[in-house]
Amino acid sequence: MKYRLLALLAVIALVAAACSSSSDDETATTVASGGETATTVVSGGETATTVASGGDTATTVASAASGEVTDIDFWVAFTDYRQEYSEEKAAAFNAAHPEYNVKITSFASYNDVFDAAVLAVDSGEPPALIHFFEAATRQALDAVDSSGAPIFKSVTEAIGGRTEIVGEPVVLDSVIDAARNYYTVDGSFYSMPWNTSTTVMFNNMDILNEAGITEPPATWADVTAACEAIAALPDAPSGCITWPNHSWFVEQSLGQQGELLANNDNGRTGRADEVFLESDGLINYLEWWKGLSDAGYYTYTGQQRDWGGTSNAYLAGEVAMLVYSSSDTTFFDRETEGLFTNQASFMPRNEAVDYVGNLIGGATIWMLDGLDQVTEDGALAFANFFSNPENAAEWHQLTGYEPITKDSITLLEGEGWYDESPNSQVASDQLAAAADTPASLGALLGNFVAIRDVITLAIEDILVNDLDVATRMADANAEANKSLTEYELLNAG
Amino acid sequence: MLIAGLVVAAILGPLYVRRNTINPTAARYGIGSAVAVLGAAVTPLAMGQCSFAEHSSGVDKLLGYLLMFGGAWLALMGARIFWDRADGKKKGDAAFAGEIRAGGFRLGLWVPWVLLSPTLIILLVFLYFPAAATFTLSTKLTRLGAPKSIDVCFTNFTELLITDPFKLVAYPLIAIALIYGARFWKSRSEPGSASRKGAEVAAVIAMLSVFVALYAMFSPGGGGQVAYRPVYINTVIISVGIVAFGMIGGLAVAYLAFRQIRGGGVYRTLLIWPYAISPAVAGVLFFMIFDPTAGIFTHTMDVWFGIDVPNYRESAVLAQSSIILASGWKILGYNILFYLAGLQTVPLEQIEAALIEGASTWQRFTKVVLPALSPITFFLLITNLTYAFFEVYATIDFMTKGAPAGKTSVAIYEIIRVGVNNGDLGRGAAQSVLLFIAVIAITMWQFRTSGERVSYGGS
Repeated sequence: MKYRLLALLAVIALVAAACSSSSDDETATTVASGGETATTVVSGGETATTVASGGDTATTVASAASGEVTDIDFWVAFTDYRQEYSEEKAAAFNAAHPEYNVKITSFASYNDVFDAAVLAVDSGEPPALIHFFEAATRQALDAVDSSGAPIFKSVTEAIGGRTEIVGEPVVLDSVIDAARNYYTVDGSFYSMPWNTSTTVMFNNMDILNEAGITEPPATWADVTAACEAIAALPDAPSGCITWPNHSWFVEQSLGQQGELLANNDNGRTGRADEVFLESDGLINYLEWWKGLSDAGYYTYTGQQRDWGGTSNAYLAGEVAMLVYSSSDTTFFDRETEGLFTNQASFMPRNEAVDYVGNLIGGATIWMLDGLDQVTEDGALAFANFFSNPENAAEWHQLTGYEPITKDSITLLEGEGWYDESPNSQVASDQLAAAADTPASLGALLGNFVAIRDVITLAIEDILVNDLDVATRMADANAEANKSLTEYELLNAG
Repeated sequence: MLIAGLVVAAILGPLYVRRNTINPTAARYGIGSAVAVLGAAVTPLAMGQCSFAEHSSGVDKLLGYLLMFGGAWLALMGARIFWDRADGKKKGDAAFAGEIRAGGFRLGLWVPWVLLSPTLIILLVFLYFPAAATFTLSTKLTRLGAPKSIDVCFTNFTELLITDPFKLVAYPLIAIALIYGARFWKSRSEPGSASRKGAEVAAVIAMLSVFVALYAMFSPGGGGQVAYRPVYINTVIISVGIVAFGMIGGLAVAYLAFRQIRGGGVYRTLLIWPYAISPAVAGVLFFMIFDPTAGIFTHTMDVWFGIDVPNYRESAVLAQSSIILASGWKILGYNILFYLAGLQTVPLEQIEAALIEGASTWQRFTKVVLPALSPITFFLLITNLTYAFFEVYATIDFMTKGAPAGKTSVAIYEIIRVGVNNGDLGRGAAQSVLLFIAVIAITMWQFRTSGERVSYGGS
């Protein structure tokens, strides 16, 4: 009897919950009254209220114009607060352009977005825009549909020199050089940069100061010396430094040392068909890394691409230094407040060679080919709106990703943002210090995702099983080149 | 090459007819021969005789012959069904024909097909078609979104194996010889004698030799081959671990929970709960317990006892054990559920009789309860093995991502890593065909061996 009562209560609770949520939906729909538009607006969560209140006027304009609403599907590879940010911006764009309805669909990873987009193209219902990452630029350029036509269209070509599209100013020309150079292939800027970052080092200055070090270490030797000093402390942390075992850090180090990862100038003067995983720069970097690990200074979390574990170790004070993506600068500033002094610095470099330059990482917005003119214009307008000075600045402040346009940097400087949070400037300074050479641009490479896996697996093997760097990288080199050769067989010519 | 294979098939056909049919007429010998040749010719023709091409390796040719043999065998099995029917040999339900009259649809033969069609269509679209597509993909070098795809014959399979065709033939033959040798020994030995004991030990060794033979057949990597041997080892260790832990633990807990205790119903309900958790959540849970930085267990050990627990992801033994623990824990509830139900069916009379005979608790458990549970154990063995093969991906992905250095990358994890994450559809498909064959083989072996020992009660 008791159980029945409990069950009844549970059912009542469920029904009540269902009712309350459905009534929320109703209000939203009534307020927006624009039919289609409302659904997207609601998905924006908190923003729903703001937009809906402004929506009244918007809807009137839309119905006055024609009542036709063009859907623009934008597939995003974020599932956290960055997805919410995208939804907010989509809602704001929809409010300003009632003839368009930008819909955000969220995926767990870049690969998921890409696979889904390729399949959607073949099944005839592709999105207008997708969010895809830098390492797969070659793959995106090579992607074709079942008839053999390229899937993506160059945004430069689509913009065609216009300075304004459906009322939104074009900001492509204002994109910072590091990103422009990275994503320009065969003279054409293919995709619209969005989240762009570089690697910086975060320093727990409390520990470093205690060990008598006043400035963040700048070179490999400095890091090793700092670690020796820290390890000698009476209350030494369990480790000294960490960073995720992600191939991006290897690529960054090659850029710093001016070494190529692939032939044909890192695949920038012609298709790359050979990778160099046995170069001096790479071996030296891994030797230094392994040395830190053997001495107990480098803390390996035991997982490849472990962003969460490394960041936790730094926040928990288990390491004094964390080499990481600048994309989380704001996060670290916020999380370390009251814990310890967190100072960002350049990624440590090899003191034995001249510094060439760090590269970017991140993702861009790719536009699909074959959209009708109205949809294409809407998609382009949204992509430019998404990175207009205000939005790009907000995105930078929210995350730590680069302010992607020069105008947004000017805006941030005017607001005094960098005086307020100096750590946010480090990444921009590091990119500004980089020379514009193929090495510091990073490689355009087929099968890059698989090749990156080959690299990180080899590193894990070296760190965990104490293998010889040169021998293990020779195996990795053979495997990576096989992967690339196969990719070129399927995609080149 | 191809002709030689076909000639062999033409000779083997009549031999099969002679062994397997009651009424081997001259016509049947002829048909048997023709059917075998046709069956053997299917794969080489479908594949454009690629495995017998000029440049193909010994292992390629071996696989080609193996597939011809398989095709001939399947074709002959099909023919045998017709002959058996003609000879009035009945199987299954039909064996009871004397007592039960076979039913029939008065409206005609099409009625059952119409009634079955929803199921058949779903099976066709979501199971058979993708399965066929997987077989096709496994012979190609292809990527999603790439403009071309290249036929690579059986390279996706052969590169998982060692390159010496003679060893590839010899190892399985040795294992089979050991198994039949042990059986022969057992049949010639007196029950209870020392010789019988020896035969039983030999039978276990022969069974293990199958695992060793497979170990020797998979490539350790290098020379352009894929290092599949480590994956095989991981799969065996982790699967056997999960099944052993899940089933022994399940039976132990069920035996304890089955006793009359206060609030037994609550315990029993709570014990089954882990089964309702998805493998991904199980992975997250154990990650939260054992993670070196954020883990509850590691933190507690450190703060309370000052023990510095090593990072489970940096040691192969710890990483594999934690996967076994997490996955075994997840399937535990399922096993408990079935064992609890099974324990209720153990005949009370038998236990009473054993008590009167003076059997100890342990003897009652091993000699009465365990045999009575054997049908359940047999069923659970297959379901647990299927679980250990196919459903551990999410747990591994959350706990180790294959770390350290691939030591927890089991077959299913490797398939998804290669086929989905790296976009190498052909190799992924080939590896999943391999896993498919493995599961079929294990199930067949289970049915043959365990079937003899399973007691369903009664006389």
